[in-house]
Amino acid sequence: MIDWTFDLLLAGGLLGLAWQIVASRILFRSVVLFIVFGLLMAVTWARLAAPDLALAEAAIGAGITGALLLSAYRALLPDRDDGGEGGSPPPAVPPWAAVGVAVLVGVLIAGIGWAVVGLEPPEQTAGRLALAKLEASGVENPVTAVLLNFRSIDTLSEVVVLFVAFLAARVVAQDLVHAGPGDWLRASRREPLLVQPLIAFIAPMTVLAAGYLLWAGASQPGGAFQAGAVLAALGVLLRLTGRLRPTEETSLPERLVLVGGLVLFSAIGLASAGVASAVLEYPPGWAYELILLIETALTLAIALPLVLLFSGSGGLRGEVR
Amino acid sequence: MTQAAFYSLIAGALAGIGIYGLITQRHLLRRILAVNVLGNSVFLLLVALARRHPDYVDPVPHAMVLTGIVIAVSATAFALVLARRYYAETGLNHLPEDEE
Repeated sequence: MIDWTFDLLLAGGLLGLAWQIVASRILFRSVVLFIVFGLLMAVTWARLAAPDLALAEAAIGAGITGALLLSAYRALLPDRDDGGEGGSPPPAVPPWAAVGVAVLVGVLIAGIGWAVVGLEPPEQTAGRLALAKLEASGVENPVTAVLLNFRSIDTLSEVVVLFVAFLAARVVAQDLVHAGPGDWLRASRREPLLVQPLIAFIAPMTVLAAGYLLWAGASQPGGAFQAGAVLAALGVLLRLTGRLRPTEETSLPERLVLVGGLVLFSAIGLASAGVASAVLEYPPGWAYELILLIETALTLAIALPLVLLFSGSGGLRGEVR
Repeated sequence: MTQAAFYSLIAGALAGIGIYGLITQRHLLRRILAVNVLGNSVFLLLVALARRHPDYVDPVPHAMVLTGIVIAVSATAFALVLARRYYAETGLNHLPEDEE
């Protein structure tokens, strides 16, 4: 049977943190607790038998989102000292109305879940079909099979969304001095002694971890999303320590990486329409190779926009210390 | 009560908290945080329901949520850039229609 103690502790932690995030009086506290909330969500995914999600949440939900939030928090700090958060007006909606709406929405979501759990599970579901046809997909990890084969159109659209978010962010971005985590600091000889050895150790290890996640995604938890997020974290680290300098211009290699995943994915999908029976269906016998190729391009096409969104720049240049 | 039912209820409670924060808070960063809490509650509902079958775990909702996590960080990043630009232009960290 399920050990309920752990579930109760986990649920209590999630609810307590969520309440602190929305209701805490100190904004910085909310932001930091949101990062903790992301980590607790990762534990929850692991508890609910979704290790792929746990990896992605720890790297993206808690890691990248946390870095973005902290950098935005710094930028939104009021210059003038008028106490707290720059004088936001009190809420216009009376608290009882807000509580009423919140309870309604909560009951609706919980009610949907409760009703679905209570139903007799259907014999034939998409998930069961995916598991039954797993051998035909070319990979052994069912989540990767769904993402890159059975429902690859979703993954293709998702990369489009990420790309569009990057483009839109470039349109409204501020100049480099104010964008991202702020003014770029050249990595100088005055930086703490341990930074350089630490980066010399972490950078190759992170690349190795990303490569492993990408490779393992075919048969175990992992894949392009997790690998891309880990690479993006490395980019954030290098940007913050001054190893990467932000620029307005996007270089040709960067442009190629940004659109590479999209172009390659679409090209293979369209070309398959001639060889196989439908668009985005892989020709028989080639599924594994094509999935690996697409995932490699996707890893880079996910990592680079995330780093650039954090950096608030159009491109990044390596900087020799 | 099964694990799926238990976590569905938790998802409902999280959604309520997220909506409450979205309505009562006016600071842009706090609203973005509240929307993220709301999004996570929907992810939790999907993953909890993937676990309702006695004999297997449904991989389709997992794939949907994995896609959703990346979409959520894209949208959050764009919202943060918008909020920063807005603050730089106006010096306000809440929207004008929220004024009394």
